[in-house]
Amino acid sequence: MGGDRTIYGLFFFGLALTAVVIVYPAVYAIELSFQNAQSFISEPEWVGFDNYVRVLQDAEFWNALWRGIVFAGTAILLQIVLGIGFAMLLDAAIPFKRAFRGIAILPYLLPTLIVALTFRWMLNDPIGVITVAMQDLGFGTVDWFGSPTLAMGIVITISVWIWTPFVTVAILAGLQSVPESLYEAAKVDGASAWQRFWHVTIPQLGPVLTVVVLLRAIWMFNKFDIVWLMTGGGPLQATEHLPILAYRKAFQSYDVSTGATVSTISFLILAVAVLIYFRMFPLDTKD
Amino acid sequence: MAKSGKKFSKHAVTRQGDAPRKTLSRRSVVKAVGVAGGAAALGFPAPFVNAAQKEIRFLNGEPTVESVRAMKFAAAQYEKETGVKVQMDTVPVGKAFEKLQTGIKAGRPYDIGTLFFIGDVVLLASEGQLAPLNEIIEQYEWGPRILFPIDGNYYWYPYDYNLCWINYRRDLYDKHGLKEPANWTELMENMAALKGEGDDMTENGILHPISSSSATNYFSFGYMWAEGGQVFDDNWNVVLDQGDVKKSVISYLDYFNDLTDLMPTGIAQAEWGVGLRGFRSGQLSHAPGTGRAIDVIRTTDEEMAQKIGIFPFPSSDGKQVAVNHGYDGWVVLDTPQTEEAMKFMKWFSDEHLINFLHTSAVHYQPARMDIYEDPRWLAHPALEQYSHITSWQKRFLTDPDVVIASIDSAGPVADLRSAKVFRSYALPEMLQNKILKGMDSSEAVDVAANKIRDVVSGG
Repeated sequence: MGGDRTIYGLFFFGLALTAVVIVYPAVYAIELSFQNAQSFISEPEWVGFDNYVRVLQDAEFWNALWRGIVFAGTAILLQIVLGIGFAMLLDAAIPFKRAFRGIAILPYLLPTLIVALTFRWMLNDPIGVITVAMQDLGFGTVDWFGSPTLAMGIVITISVWIWTPFVTVAILAGLQSVPESLYEAAKVDGASAWQRFWHVTIPQLGPVLTVVVLLRAIWMFNKFDIVWLMTGGGPLQATEHLPILAYRKAFQSYDVSTGATVSTISFLILAVAVLIYFRMFPLDTKD
Repeated sequence: MAKSGKKFSKHAVTRQGDAPRKTLSRRSVVKAVGVAGGAAALGFPAPFVNAAQKEIRFLNGEPTVESVRAMKFAAAQYEKETGVKVQMDTVPVGKAFEKLQTGIKAGRPYDIGTLFFIGDVVLLASEGQLAPLNEIIEQYEWGPRILFPIDGNYYWYPYDYNLCWINYRRDLYDKHGLKEPANWTELMENMAALKGEGDDMTENGILHPISSSSATNYFSFGYMWAEGGQVFDDNWNVVLDQGDVKKSVISYLDYFNDLTDLMPTGIAQAEWGVGLRGFRSGQLSHAPGTGRAIDVIRTTDEEMAQKIGIFPFPSSDGKQVAVNHGYDGWVVLDTPQTEEAMKFMKWFSDEHLINFLHTSAVHYQPARMDIYEDPRWLAHPALEQYSHITSWQKRFLTDPDVVIASIDSAGPVADLRSAKVFRSYALPEMLQNKILKGMDSSEAVDVAANKIRDVVSGG
């Protein structure tokens, strides 16, 4: 009876906490998207779907959405491919395996701010170590943040560097649950290493991959910090995706309502994408 | 909610009606006294304490050690003299507006706050959150374009100008026999003359950021103002791409493009302080900046600080010069303590403002003209020591040929429109289109003007 009370107590505490720190701000943001307010202290005016119509007619929104898809899509693809590769490597019989496994997780443990500052210094002109190395290799002085394509490439590369370890660890854990007997049976059937990987490993990793891709997609699509710290959305808005557009509108342009509208639409896009994803790759396949 | 509330009461009444009547026990008396005591403890102290000592809350946005110390000292003095406590909270630069909004939203607004952006003042005033400071403001003589009246009222007390000019290496100018440039050509020639290898030379001429940032808005448009560039006319029409103004802006863009040959790479990522670091390390012969640069350098490298000279941004023909506008000030919020806050402001203004300004003597260029003659202010040794800078500073305010302009203060009066243009980074993008994309100057101006129109119309 006492145990039940504790469980219920914890449950309701969790529920209350969720309501206060997640549900209320989300509902408030959605409410703001139906209002016209310049700031959080403005007297809001109800405008119905006007903000949505305006935002959806704005090329800035669609450009930001496209940039977000390019950023998140490329980063996730690279994280998954590299994550599987590193996991396979760390699962193999290599010397100092434990040490390498420990080192592999390090980038994920670093605060994003530290990573951003470090990379900014390394890419700094004229003293950045990467900039100087490129000069020594004969590529001249590369203006990393002066080119829209390079800037996007940089934020994708750094995102891959930070978050691939998460995929590696998840896949590595998944690999431990693949029965050795399956590989042995495949070998007996004459399957090559590639065939064993494609027909045994990948299907066995299916549930893990489903969750990892889903989580990475949600996180990358909403990723604000690394892009903001590295490029601030520039140059020429080349790295301005939906989270940065929403922030800029809400906190810099005296247009909290538009910021809230962009956030709400972003949330809806992600929710629909997740639903479609679950229809395509259902987690519960027991039935 | 109301529905469930009714249900609960009905249920409670039924249960009360069914319950047997209780006798008054000692325990229930003790409980009742305890509950009453608890309620009293929770309910009474607030007004009691308030009655005992008045308190005003001041949000300081100048976080340097010296400034915080000066503000806290003033607060302690005021409490000693009047018995009114001044709670001094400090936030990092640029975070004051957020904090003020949070306080208002939470129902516990600050009584006085520091603001660095006139758009924030306009917004707070339009929301009825500010109290006019007319009585205090009208007692003093002020410099040009600093009070930003709104509908005939003064809603802020500006304590300094943060004008942006061009810092240059005075020592190198002397060694090479150069004189302060009067126009664009002379400026480029000076930079070119100092660019090279070896002692008494620098790697590059100057650094102006072009990133979509406040730093670019502040550091990179001085030449445009000097050349006659304008964002709005007196009726809030966007004139950036109109007639003579467009010609001026095109000239400015072409000149800026030429100037990039004398700049290091990385201008697309440059932010606050990057130019200063390059200047200080001897890589640049010139750097746009404010008095803060001088104060920062003189605290660590007095010899280097003495080598710095300043001049305003020239125009192409030298007929006009400009400095980019910058300012800081305090606002008094409309709170139950407004009257006390006003008394404090008056007292501070007369008794302690100069002490505060001395905490960054060159940087905090007084907004009040009477202070320039005040012996208390003049007594600071740095003002004499750096008279070649401070004399220019005063001239910026008094010489009619000096244009004081900025994006955030563009237009006939203080207004959110110019603040929104500042935050849209339409003009930094104009530079990016020219420099990074190689866009034709005329087209870059048109793109910027259209974006500004879009921003102003709420698009």
